[in-house]
Amino acid sequence: MYATGRAADSRSTFATPQGSRPIQAASALRTQEIVQLIRLEAALDIRQRAAWGGMLLYVVSAVYVAHLAVKGDLGTATWNALYWIILLFAAFNALARSFQREDGGRQLYLYTLADPRSVILARTLYNSITMVLLSLLSLLCYTLFMGAHVLADADLFQFLLAVILGGIGLAAVLTLISAIAARAGSGLGLMAILGFPLVLPMLLAVMRASKLALDGVAWSVNSTYFLGLVLLDVITVTLAWLLFPYLWRD
Amino acid sequence: MRIIHLLGLLAPTLAYAQAAPTWLEDNLYGGGKMNAVVVVVAIIILGIGVWLWAQDRRLKRMEEKLKK
Amino acid sequence: MKHWWWKFLAIALLLVASVAALRTPLSPALVHVSPGRIAPGEVTIQVTGYNTRFRDDLGVHLINDGQHFCPERVDVLDATHLRATIIVPEGLRNAMTDLVVSNLRYPGAFFTEGLGAGIENGACDPEREMTGSVAAGFAFPNRSILYESIRNLHFHVPMWFTMIALMAISMWKSIEVLGSTSLDRDREAVSAVHVGLLFCALGLLTGMVWARATWGAFWTNDVKLNGAAVTALIYLAYLVLRGSVPDAHKRARLAAIYNIFAFVLLVMFLFVVPRLNAIDSLHPGSGGNSGFADLDLDNRLRIVFYPAVVGWVLLGAWMYQLRHRATRINEMQEA
Repeated sequence: MYATGRAADSRSTFATPQGSRPIQAASALRTQEIVQLIRLEAALDIRQRAAWGGMLLYVVSAVYVAHLAVKGDLGTATWNALYWIILLFAAFNALARSFQREDGGRQLYLYTLADPRSVILARTLYNSITMVLLSLLSLLCYTLFMGAHVLADADLFQFLLAVILGGIGLAAVLTLISAIAARAGSGLGLMAILGFPLVLPMLLAVMRASKLALDGVAWSVNSTYFLGLVLLDVITVTLAWLLFPYLWRD
Repeated sequence: MRIIHLLGLLAPTLAYAQAAPTWLEDNLYGGGKMNAVVVVVAIIILGIGVWLWAQDRRLKRMEEKLKK
Repeated sequence: MKHWWWKFLAIALLLVASVAALRTPLSPALVHVSPGRIAPGEVTIQVTGYNTRFRDDLGVHLINDGQHFCPERVDVLDATHLRATIIVPEGLRNAMTDLVVSNLRYPGAFFTEGLGAGIENGACDPEREMTGSVAAGFAFPNRSILYESIRNLHFHVPMWFTMIALMAISMWKSIEVLGSTSLDRDREAVSAVHVGLLFCALGLLTGMVWARATWGAFWTNDVKLNGAAVTALIYLAYLVLRGSVPDAHKRARLAAIYNIFAFVLLVMFLFVVPRLNAIDSLHPGSGGNSGFADLDLDNRLRIVFYPAVVGWVLLGAWMYQLRHRATRINEMQEA
């Protein structure tokens, strides 16, 4: 019953593409729907294992190029900066697929089935998990090639927290950007142009936080940065949640 | 005569000029840095002028289209 | 006619603020001493003032770690130059000696040699310093590395205020785009961004000139400058996004979504991240630099600064309306 009602609703929207279909402002979080959508994403990724392999290969090659280019020991600042730069490009590479991989038909199908807000929340969550995994794997690879000497007097808990919050932040910004770029019908190029200036605040804050963590500063010094990062993450996700339904409709 | 007089006027300036090695510094730092203000005001006026000129051209294109 | 009042207001405010910004004198200050180094024994120093009126009755002091000593002889050469012969005592405690001429003070005027445990007797009467003071009427503060360029406060900074105001207008129009199907709101949004980018360019260029004159480099790695660069990149990307979507309604919606998202993140970047990274900034009011607000004559800057900001913001709004109307006519013609 419910599903057919929604389908009819959306059909009328297709008849008048510009018609202002009221966005369900009061739509509650549909936890079950979100969980199912995340499962769907995971299933798709498992089916396309090559994509994950590609992402990992990308990170490994980037780290290896860095290893070849930089001979000798790196200072803490450079080590940190290089890690985040590699991760930034990996994030663009990984998250561009988020909305680009589906064709019109599948999107239409998803549209009739799920609330757009569930879709964006599910994608953001899934991409965050992807990014956190990717950052941890690249950290492993990075320390292997570039040496772990800078981690000697680091506060590892703080550093990992920075990596996780940074990964979530990058995922949150780039998921919406990926959706916009996909809607605009352009590829990775447009996504890079749109995304770079927007991830900069996140990137600068997280680089600073992880640098301080590597220096092993006290928790009280670094907590402002973590608070700022959490704030940025929350704001970004909220904005994506608010704006995505408008992107989804047409 | 006049040249010697002028040189006399310049003498203190020359003495200060040694502290300001380049042309740019001489011009930006000179006169209590008033020139920095002059350049800034000039940039703003020029910028708005260029903008007006661009709008003018847009309108002209539209007028020509209207004639056709 | 009744809708014109704010345009007159814009012109009036800009006129008054610009004239005041350019015509207000700088308060007097001591700007140069030579030589910059003193050692025990007789030294003749030359002092250069700026906007001062040196007269014969002024009191000249040197102060080292709270101990005063006075020159043997002071010759006032003209309103801005004086020469003084000092017998520098042995045993000054501090490596920096301040110079006081009447009510003007030049902290750290001289590197001091021959340090010791203090001088025997403060050689002169501290009361003498207040005579022959150099009065100033309405004047801007005279800061050591800024001097006259402090006037740029009234030209450079309003560019940024105007840009932010225009981008905020653009975001507001973008929200309206999402709430309606109007293409006109979209035209308003993009017109505001166009004019905002003009003010961004003006802010960057004027900032570069002022930075060169003050800090010695056109570009410094400063959070405010990074913010400006990121703003330019974001809105250029906005224009690129618009350029890559052919359908007008789809373009309006995509651009609006990006605009809202970008503006909120930009505000975070401009106003929150600098608070986090405060140590990095050369700009006043952050990173341990004193803001203009705590200058002794701050209200004299403000009384000119606020009208200038309002005037420029109104002018920006006017320019954006002109651009929007031209764009609308253009698109109606093409349709």
